[in-house]
Amino acid sequence: MDLQPIHPEPTSFIKKYLFTTDHKVIAKQFLWTGFIFLFIGGVLAMWIRWQWGFPNEPVPAILGGGLLHESDGIIGPSTYASVFTQHGLIMIFFAITPALIGAFGNFCIPLMIGARDMAFPKLNMFSYWTFVISCLLVLASFFPDMGGAAAGWTTYPPLSTNVGTPGWGQTLMVLAIFVTGTATIMGSVNYVTTVIRLRAPGMTYMRMPGTVWGLWLTAILNVLFVPVLAAGALLLVFDRVFGTEFYIAGANGNGDPILFQHLFWIFGHPEVYILILPAWGIMTDLMSFFSRKPAFWFKGSVYAMIAVTIVSAVVYGHHMFLTGMNPLLGHTFMLLTLIISVPAEMLFLNWLHTMWHGSIRLTVPMLFALGAVFVFGLGGLTGIYLGTISTDIYLHDTMFVVGHFHFTMAAATFLGTFAAVYLWYPKMFGRKMNVRLGKTHFWGSVVFITLLFGGQMLVGYAGQQRRLWDPFQYTFLEHLRDLNLWTTYAAFLLGIFQIPFVINFIGSMWKGPKAEANPWELGTLEWTLPSPPPNYNFKEIPTVYRGPHEYNNPEVKAVLGRDWVGQSEVLPDAKIESDENRPSAPGSDQAAE
Amino acid sequence: MIRRTNSYLSTLLWIVVGLVTGVGIAWAEVQPESGFGLPRDVSLEGWRIDWLIQVTTLFVGLLFIIMCMWMLYACVVHNEDHEAEYDHGDGKHHVLLALTLSSLIFFVVDGNLFYNSVVDVEEAFWNMERAETHPDAVRIEINARQWAWEARYSGMDGEFGTPYAHSPDDIVVLNHIRVPVGVPVILELAAVDVIHSFYLPNFRTKIDAVPGLINKLWFQATETGDFDIGCAQHCGTHHYKMKGMLSVLPQEEYDAWHKMASDHGARTYDSKDKNAQWGWAWRKDR
Repeated sequence: MDLQPIHPEPTSFIKKYLFTTDHKVIAKQFLWTGFIFLFIGGVLAMWIRWQWGFPNEPVPAILGGGLLHESDGIIGPSTYASVFTQHGLIMIFFAITPALIGAFGNFCIPLMIGARDMAFPKLNMFSYWTFVISCLLVLASFFPDMGGAAAGWTTYPPLSTNVGTPGWGQTLMVLAIFVTGTATIMGSVNYVTTVIRLRAPGMTYMRMPGTVWGLWLTAILNVLFVPVLAAGALLLVFDRVFGTEFYIAGANGNGDPILFQHLFWIFGHPEVYILILPAWGIMTDLMSFFSRKPAFWFKGSVYAMIAVTIVSAVVYGHHMFLTGMNPLLGHTFMLLTLIISVPAEMLFLNWLHTMWHGSIRLTVPMLFALGAVFVFGLGGLTGIYLGTISTDIYLHDTMFVVGHFHFTMAAATFLGTFAAVYLWYPKMFGRKMNVRLGKTHFWGSVVFITLLFGGQMLVGYAGQQRRLWDPFQYTFLEHLRDLNLWTTYAAFLLGIFQIPFVINFIGSMWKGPKAEANPWELGTLEWTLPSPPPNYNFKEIPTVYRGPHEYNNPEVKAVLGRDWVGQSEVLPDAKIESDENRPSAPGSDQAAE
Repeated sequence: MIRRTNSYLSTLLWIVVGLVTGVGIAWAEVQPESGFGLPRDVSLEGWRIDWLIQVTTLFVGLLFIIMCMWMLYACVVHNEDHEAEYDHGDGKHHVLLALTLSSLIFFVVDGNLFYNSVVDVEEAFWNMERAETHPDAVRIEINARQWAWEARYSGMDGEFGTPYAHSPDDIVVLNHIRVPVGVPVILELAAVDVIHSFYLPNFRTKIDAVPGLINKLWFQATETGDFDIGCAQHCGTHHYKMKGMLSVLPQEEYDAWHKMASDHGARTYDSKDKNAQWGWAWRKDR
């Protein structure tokens, strides 16, 4: 039986756009949902910043102050706890995850490995609609009487049990995390299988683009560690709803609150890499694509990503240095955490070397990739302060941590996501985006991201704790009012500079010039298809002859007169192929691995 | 065709971003307290953390500047008019270079962090024995609750024992902790309801107070004065208000207060006051 039959294109609206099994449409569904939640999470972020810049003043109407009409726009301490909790959970699980992993995992993997769809198209559909259920739970969690979830995004018990946050808001949110975890597992099983089973003939693992590598490793981490989170969340739901005492200790019970922290961070630290690996993959590709030069030591980058994937599972203890951890265990986690910086450095060196002696085109996706290198540099380098016990004793739970993980998990992943949007938009929607708006969006984003999260780091360095409704209660923080205010302005400007993106993203769907098949002159498989591709992608499954980064190959130049060559392109004269690029027989890759 | 970009504008903006970041970091270093720098350090061992943070900032600042200059140079000079080199970068010398550079950075920057942190932790921050063996060490039990710090000192008899009711001279205070200057102060912390984190910014120290656990912390003040006690772990609505004061007193003043408060404790001891009945026998082990 044919593994990948060509299905006729569905004609009814419901089958085509709602309950679709086409990975490209599911990708768009994830992208739109992700953007909607990015907006909600963004408004919540503005509220957090408003309170720090203008404590106790009513939120203006333009920032959605009307939603706080019961308190005349003023954010009280209880609402505030709910706002930063929902902001964190929404951004991580309902904005970045769908927009980067859901959308581009679905869109890129089959197209870039030469498959007609995912391995399990129906499972893919279920994954999205399960995710929608979790989204509804999140939206519902805003409205119950006693407020939304308010125990912080880390949801540490006993605060997250009925001891600390009674009411349905927190329960619905924990349930939403459980459900979205289920959706993620379904999606990830699909990604893992698709990459293993449906690569086109000749698409060996080392010929897969970095993007696919990043998404695949992310999916593997998801399959391994999201179940741990789901288990932890389910026990928490039991504590909340059925009165068990898994996590409740002290005056109220005989459980162990630290148990949850172990379960949470066994998942939570890989989660950081789950979010950044796809961005790293995209950055690796884009550095090569727009330097018009092969990726520097691509194998090294792949090994580095694999190393990060493996080590990410054994570093989580650095989140718990101050819980009374045994010093020997602490030192072990510290060493493992610092070791993870080696593969990260290798990736950076490879990116920098890829640019060196390139012919760099500062296109909008390239700018975003460079911006992602810049902010990830800041975020990554400041991480080592937090992975080290003695400096972490001071910096733990300060705004320094907040700045650090926003640079890595928010700034780098979103700049990576935007790079992906600008790069694949022509392929997704068949039209090109406006360059001027794109560049405005880029410069505004990268400058104000740096100032915003840099400001957070500086107040953290000065000692300001996280999650304070009014930091200026403390005498040692009083002098930080101005810095907090300026950081708030940076946040607003960052928000304003997303408007060109919204205009560009939506407007270009109708007004953008029609995109040709290969507007960026790239060699990966998706650019051999028309923009947008037909529902079955490839009429004939292509045969792959070379890696994804064959740019400025002098022999190709001599034959074709251009600086790029498709991965599946047959050159007129077979003699010019060097040994390295020799096509392998279809299916021989399994034997080679 | 890919649109030609204005390299000058890009260059300029990169430089602005670099400068702003650089100036921000520099400012932080030279203006402690009045600017964005670290809070004033008044502890015996806090210098270890300050030194390590600053040395690391120097290292990573340098690496970051090199990275930015590299990218800037490549974007400006190796632009679209520059002929790209066809190089897969997997030659032996390339791989060797990448590995050497990564290991060099690792051993210098991370190695320095790891070594110093192990030394700092073993010699100072988590070395409870050093504090416990000091003859004049002051011992305090802290009970964290939403949203206050309860503290218990043993009375003049030097024994914690209120739960057993034979030591009614214990001193129980709320949110205002007095300690003498120049001797180690050891804290044992527990929590009633949710997780809190006892944070002394001016002493560069912090530890979680976890329900069901007893955690330890020690510090030694080098100056007298009043300093903030903060809660660093989100503990509910009024987390921001869970603020205490640590008064560092000269030894004689502390002794006088301690005697007065202990006498007062013994006079006002009420065996029926359940709220005063928390506490535990001092734990010698970590």
